[in-house]
Amino acid sequence: MSLLPADVRTSDLPLDLTAAARDLWPGGTLDFWQGRPAPEPARVFWPKSEAEVHAVLKAASESQIPVTTYGMGSGVCGGARGREGAWVLDTKAMDAIGPLDSDRRTVEAQAGVNGQHLEDWLNARGFTLGHSPSSIWCSTVGGWAAARSAGQFSSRYGVFEDMVLGLGAVSPSRGAFSVGEGGDSPDDWMELLLGSEGTLAVITKVKMRVWPLPRERVLRGYRFPDVASAIRAMRGLMQGELWPAVVRLYDPVDTRIGGRTKTKENPEEEHRAFYREWLAAVDGMPSIRRRLLALPLALPGLVNNLFGSMASGCLLVVGWEGEPEVVKELYDVGHALLCKEGEDLGTGPGERWFHSRHAVSFKLMPIFERGGFADTMEVACRWSDVEALYDAVRAALGKTAVVMAHMSHVYPEGASIYFSFAGRGDPAVYDRTWKAALEACLSVGATVTHHHGVGSLKAAAASEEVGPAVAGWRSLKKELDPASVMNAGRLFVDVPHREIAPPELRPDDGMARAPLESTLSERAGWVQEGHEPMWPWESWPAPPRWLRLPWQTGWIEVAGRAGGLGCVLGRGPRSAAGPDLRGWLARRAGNQGTASFAVVPTEGAWMGAIKVADPWKVGWELIRKDLRPSSLYVKEGELRVGFRGPAARALAKIASAMVGGLVEIPWAPAPLASGPLEACDWKDKDIVALTLSGPVRRKEPEPARRKRTKESV
Amino acid sequence: MTPPTQSAETCSLCPRLCRPACPVASGSGREAAVPSLIAATLVEWGRGRLPVERALEAATLCVDCGACQSHCHLDRPLPELLRKVRREIVVFVEPEALQPIEGEGAMIVIEADERPFAAALSRRLKRPVRRWPTTDRLGVGAVEHADWEKHAEKLRLHKGAGADLVIADGGVATALSAAGIPFRWLQEVVPELPSGVASCCAPGGTTTVACCGAAGPLMAHHPEDSVRVGEFWLRRTESRQVSDARCRAHLQACGGKVRDALDVLLEGE
Repeated sequence: MSLLPADVRTSDLPLDLTAAARDLWPGGTLDFWQGRPAPEPARVFWPKSEAEVHAVLKAASESQIPVTTYGMGSGVCGGARGREGAWVLDTKAMDAIGPLDSDRRTVEAQAGVNGQHLEDWLNARGFTLGHSPSSIWCSTVGGWAAARSAGQFSSRYGVFEDMVLGLGAVSPSRGAFSVGEGGDSPDDWMELLLGSEGTLAVITKVKMRVWPLPRERVLRGYRFPDVASAIRAMRGLMQGELWPAVVRLYDPVDTRIGGRTKTKENPEEEHRAFYREWLAAVDGMPSIRRRLLALPLALPGLVNNLFGSMASGCLLVVGWEGEPEVVKELYDVGHALLCKEGEDLGTGPGERWFHSRHAVSFKLMPIFERGGFADTMEVACRWSDVEALYDAVRAALGKTAVVMAHMSHVYPEGASIYFSFAGRGDPAVYDRTWKAALEACLSVGATVTHHHGVGSLKAAAASEEVGPAVAGWRSLKKELDPASVMNAGRLFVDVPHREIAPPELRPDDGMARAPLESTLSERAGWVQEGHEPMWPWESWPAPPRWLRLPWQTGWIEVAGRAGGLGCVLGRGPRSAAGPDLRGWLARRAGNQGTASFAVVPTEGAWMGAIKVADPWKVGWELIRKDLRPSSLYVKEGELRVGFRGPAARALAKIASAMVGGLVEIPWAPAPLASGPLEACDWKDKDIVALTLSGPVRRKEPEPARRKRTKESV
Repeated sequence: MTPPTQSAETCSLCPRLCRPACPVASGSGREAAVPSLIAATLVEWGRGRLPVERALEAATLCVDCGACQSHCHLDRPLPELLRKVRREIVVFVEPEALQPIEGEGAMIVIEADERPFAAALSRRLKRPVRRWPTTDRLGVGAVEHADWEKHAEKLRLHKGAGADLVIADGGVATALSAAGIPFRWLQEVVPELPSGVASCCAPGGTTTVACCGAAGPLMAHHPEDSVRVGEFWLRRTESRQVSDARCRAHLQACGGKVRDALDVLLEGE
């Protein structure tokens, strides 16, 4: 008999239990449509405060009742789906937004705030979060953090975890605690809570970085002859540090089905959108509609081949946004790069995408209605594996489903591929399709999820990917959730682990690899000639995310031994396969381990210097203008600013005009302070770095600080 | 009775995309109030898997504002379906004769909750006003009734004969609009009513009336959720998230309780 927490709003009405039994996992949608009921929880709670959250978790732990945290149920991997007899902790009553600190450009929001409501709130005050997942209408801030969400502008603003500066959370054993900026708990818990999908604690509030609303936005479409040439172009944009806000490549099938390309010269020659016409035709003949749809879904191989043979070329949509003069320069350089192999289609494709960017999900329902299933899978890997990953997963999915793909999250070190697929609405076919696709993904060495998270759908595959490093998550779970009631059976499950060695790096990857404990100069020895580390940290790990600039990456892949087996983490950029356990693995592996890091060519790099009264503050203004210098530091009272990549000189010109004339000096980037660091004020004489919120200095070791305090007393 | 739920099927499969537009889903925090899940409940009821009481409970988690349909890229007519279902279910659960329109006069007041708006209005205007009584059980009353279509036709005829209709509830106003029945707004008839109270009922303001939670079946069937919805929208108003000036004025004046506006009319007597 469980003891209910007092004074927390709750319901055991069947209507509420049924509603909380299903999230947006398409397998659950298929079950619903075909009349298989979802396992129903026993009770739903709507706590309004951290104290109420703790009361629920404490009562559940004492009674050994599993707890599922539920935001708006937008997860597509079954992470919040029902469990027989469980309690559901619904976060939607925690829906306060603010305060907004417009100087430091931060905002706080409680976990249950709807994504679109937050964006509306910020827009009304002249800011944006820069996070625009296609689920923005039906997801929460807490869910974004718990499942490592990514939005459509990730190549400029980062994925959601890049925006997070602090988290509030509640666990059964610890009660309320905070991590990140101003947090009361270990810094490395931040990386373990992000992506933990309700298995460690309930995320109750999030402190995020915000950006001024962009004053300029440019969107343009390009047609490429094939996926390979488009991949080269995307890689060029990202490794050239051009920071586009939008990069979306539709594979030839997606381009053809979506009817997206239209040349500037022949605006009437738009490909007809097969999808829309197909459904319209089916709807026009109600007596045979199911059979008409069932036929192509029953013969996916044939349909894939048919579409493949009809397809010609693929569409790439690219866009920049921000300050007008910066956007202009980046666009000019990016456009020239894209036109080397691509054909300019004008602004139409980009604008069409922008105006319907959250509407794609409206296309899914008709497929279920007509007896099929529709689902999506987002995977990620380093650049040199992208084509192999595309081919392998597409082939695996294509045996049982009609498949198309696009790429909409790209980084200097790799890309994510997003597969959309539809098949016959048979649960066995559905399961077989997923199993084959996940195996194909792992066989290439990619991550099984980039931003949808793990849930129950990918739990076995993610556990295989993370391997023995799952122990790092188990260790914290034991501390925070000793009764193991938090979303048990989701995220990670017991699977046999195998030996995994780090893959050989190739030039396209834009990465180098070095021992974990190597110095910066030792690391430089592992970098190919004419290149340098993109972010030259003094040592690893890089500072925590709230003490560095959001676009500065630390290690990419970390490899080492754990549990007697070789283990590689970070197999795809911004993997959402659970918490980031790279720090745990690095500590375990020590100097036996290695880490890969982004490298970039130095050709064309430009650096300038100027003596100004308040050099760090002046440098900060450049960063706040979103110029994203490749190097910025102060030496002997002189501000030094450098840019790399094809837009280096154009950006330097803007920077020079802003600060009153940079004098060109030889390219000489300084090492980046690794830490320990702490935020400080502008009067501090020991500033060593900048974040978007302000200056940072080295943190003095604890004993020294105590001594000084004593002396000052 | 055959549950009229076929047109709910698409909504039941939707990934809950109209959630942020729905005032009840946003304000109550209940997953069950998300239009897609209301539709899912109706589909299951239509398939005979759920009792009618569940369908009634779901179909009344609604203020009849139409925001879900406005937000929907497929333009699914869920509000119309819910109205139809509510009318069917109410009869199914508890058959009840719709009251006749009482009295004489060129104006008709659709009167919910047995509050004597018709008499008050008659005295205020110094002219006869007809009364169409409804009950608390029916919430907004006539427009939720199974026989609504028949009575709507009568109302149209009344209008044709030169009668004016005076409405007494935002939800009724929305439904009258949807049924294409001309009507006059309370403030037009009693212009001295405080503008912050009644201006929300100005033509074109129907969604702003309904979104506060006090309109339609929500208040009648789920009073606690109605208050939550009102409070939620009031917070959004205070935080400048409600862009419509009429809506802001209304919410600030009433705190999310449209019925208070009508009380003003009674207090004046």
